[in-house]
Amino acid sequence: MTQPDGLLYSKEHEWLKIEGDVGVVGITDYAQDSLGDIVYVELPRVGAQLKQSASVGVIESVKAVSDLFTPVGGEVVEVNTALDADPALVNREPFGGGWLFKLKLADAAERSSLLGPSDYGALVAAEH
Amino acid sequence: MRRTALYDEHVALGGRMVPFAGFEMPVQYAGILREHDAVRKRAGLFDLSHMAQFELRGPGVAAWADALTINHVATMKLGQARYNIFTNEGGGAHDDVLFYRLEAERWLLVVNAGNAQKMWEYLRNRPAPGVTLTNHHGEAALIAVQGPHACAIVSSLLASAAERSSLEAMKYYTCAPGEIGGVPLLFGRTGYTGEDGFELFLPGEEAPAVWRRILAAGAEHGLEPAGLGARDMLRLEAGMPLYGFELAEDLSPLAGGQRWAVKFEKPDFTGKAALVAQAAEDDYDRIVALSLSGRVPARSGYRVFRAGEAVGEVRSASLGPSVGAYIATALVRKSASALGTALQIEVRGALHDASVVALPFYRRS
Repeated sequence: MTQPDGLLYSKEHEWLKIEGDVGVVGITDYAQDSLGDIVYVELPRVGAQLKQSASVGVIESVKAVSDLFTPVGGEVVEVNTALDADPALVNREPFGGGWLFKLKLADAAERSSLLGPSDYGALVAAEH
Repeated sequence: MRRTALYDEHVALGGRMVPFAGFEMPVQYAGILREHDAVRKRAGLFDLSHMAQFELRGPGVAAWADALTINHVATMKLGQARYNIFTNEGGGAHDDVLFYRLEAERWLLVVNAGNAQKMWEYLRNRPAPGVTLTNHHGEAALIAVQGPHACAIVSSLLASAAERSSLEAMKYYTCAPGEIGGVPLLFGRTGYTGEDGFELFLPGEEAPAVWRRILAAGAEHGLEPAGLGARDMLRLEAGMPLYGFELAEDLSPLAGGQRWAVKFEKPDFTGKAALVAQAAEDDYDRIVALSLSGRVPARSGYRVFRAGEAVGEVRSASLGPSVGAYIATALVRKSASALGTALQIEVRGALHDASVVALPFYRRS
């Protein structure tokens, strides 16, 4: 399982990449592996106002439906429409092409509750 | 939590182990979709040793079993396998099973893992003259090879041309003794995937070596180990019931879609009167097959509507890769059950279209 540098991580196994005042959100390699083959992703609507840690959508794998949480709050500015036709992209490229949504960050201070790569790595190792 | 004789093999193959019916079983190895694809196109290898195997011996078995089940037992020929259901007095199902007639007075009865204890207690509490029961649950192993290449793979493990052609000539739903590498076993040309294939019954201590032989022989055919996740997807596409979903203590074979197996001409059997009455009244909720129109998956327990009225609930549901759609079974009232009926499934508060279709969803070519 990898957790690239340059990203922040949540205990719910999402990652956050900061690009100026926009954050890109996805799920980690550990999360996609745990879920198994992903068959459907329900994303928040563009324009939706999300609160940190809220359940904002759903990721369905063959086995189960899982809530999708947001690691930080803000307004959704873009969602990954490629996942409509190819939800398995999340399995194949969890940190790349399988990103889920982008939001305009509401509060920079929220990031302090997220984990860095090595702390997230430790969390994953402990969950095994 | 118990383990089958093949536990170490699963772990070595990267199997993701989960608790199932009191056993640690592999839900997947490389991935459910990939394993499903392997079975449909090449072959998959399954450990089903968590299922219970009972041996039934004696001159009294046929009549005794006929009195407890819906389908004919006494008329089974030597080397025949037959699907059957043990019913309760209300016509509901205790379990759905396979009988294999090995000798005139010797049967193998394969029972669902989740019902192993219930069924053993049930049968043991009904002693009859000329009936001896032995419980091999946990000691006997069951390995299934399923898929278009299954026959070639299993055949390649047999020692002589005569054995190979006998195996290849076996008809569907027959069984015969044989051996692999000197290990005596029973072959059944049966399965739970809708593909051709074999189920191998053998002593647990011989299972690891035979499993590995099959994997080795299957490598050039693209055989892959397949877990319970793929198994469920395959059986649903093939229109096969799963106890607890399409059959239950309160869900009879009539309601569950297994009317074909109810032999009303049998003089009597447990639950016959209730089934006769149910058939005559014909007002019961029943299992239908649904094909979903969109991309949103249904899940067990989701409510089913027709023109705004709640008519039932989803039982089994899965992606059907061989069907190109999400598929499900649902228990709905009779008025919502005709082929072609347009229904809606409630998913997280929104309604999604589905229609009643005929089973099976998938048939092998």
